[in-house]
Amino acid sequence: MKVGLLHSLIRKEEKLLLEEFQVRGVDLTMIDDRNLIFDLESAPDVDVILERSINHSRSMYGLRLLEATGIHCINAAEVAKICGDKILTSVALKEADVRQPPVRIAFTEESALKAIEELGYPVVLKPAVGSWGRLLSKVNDRESAEAILEHKALLGSYHHSIFYIQKFVEKKGRDIRSFVVGDKCIAAIYRSSEHWITNTARGAVASGCEVDSKIAEISLAAADAVGGGVLAVDLFETSEGLYVNEVNYTMEFRNSIQTTGVNIPAHVVDFVLSQQP
Amino acid sequence: MTECPICGAEIAFAQGTVVGELLECADCGSELEVTGLDPAAVTEAPETEEDWGE
Repeated sequence: MKVGLLHSLIRKEEKLLLEEFQVRGVDLTMIDDRNLIFDLESAPDVDVILERSINHSRSMYGLRLLEATGIHCINAAEVAKICGDKILTSVALKEADVRQPPVRIAFTEESALKAIEELGYPVVLKPAVGSWGRLLSKVNDRESAEAILEHKALLGSYHHSIFYIQKFVEKKGRDIRSFVVGDKCIAAIYRSSEHWITNTARGAVASGCEVDSKIAEISLAAADAVGGGVLAVDLFETSEGLYVNEVNYTMEFRNSIQTTGVNIPAHVVDFVLSQQP
Repeated sequence: MTECPICGAEIAFAQGTVVGELLECADCGSELEVTGLDPAAVTEAPETEEDWGE
């Protein structure tokens, strides 16, 4: 099987994946998204592509363009489209009856303020497209809501005026990140921080979390809801059970291999090589 | 062997380094991207863009 790796910068995760492909004697075709030109017809000489681009927009369009030439991609373009957009993710989770925190979506400052007041403070405003905890705003009162909504509306990019509002979940300083590869939830970590944002990209500390049946069940349901593949699912623990916060399609795992004792890149590579050419 | 474009420190590649890989200059801490192996070359890594992430 001929395997391509769609990438831009080579981070720790990509290096670990390269090593696992090398161990298995796979001669990878490296496809740097910064050098690609698509003509809607020609395609790289590969059977399957593992997507590891750092830009969501390039991933989404690149995968769709590659799929259009008949190449099987992991993850699929549709998965990238859904996971890269919190609104589409919420819709997919809702349609699959997967629990998530209460959300509202609004298109104007006025309707967003009304939605926030209906949900009740505190809420979290999130850009529909964004990662690593960037530009998240915890809104504790009406004065803050008015100020943040005005700032977002004036940021200049139209998508900041599409307001994704999530009820703030008191998560006691941690959330859970689980890793799904195919039909298995292979590992999970707690991400702990004194800050309300618990992304490891923002300094949260990873520690081991046993994958029990509840974590596995909701993680696999969330992965299935967005189309499946190689996915990282972020979970909130609440008194009503686990909620899915988001699903990530170009998952980072550098802090999770030693923590979990699970060779995550090996699982990913084995999954890629198990695909039918 | 090449040098950091920011501070001029010598940069040596570890075995297995690949084009596109991110490195950190041991002297100034700048994040660098490997742009060539033979001859060795690095540039300052690109700034984080709005749609970067997972």
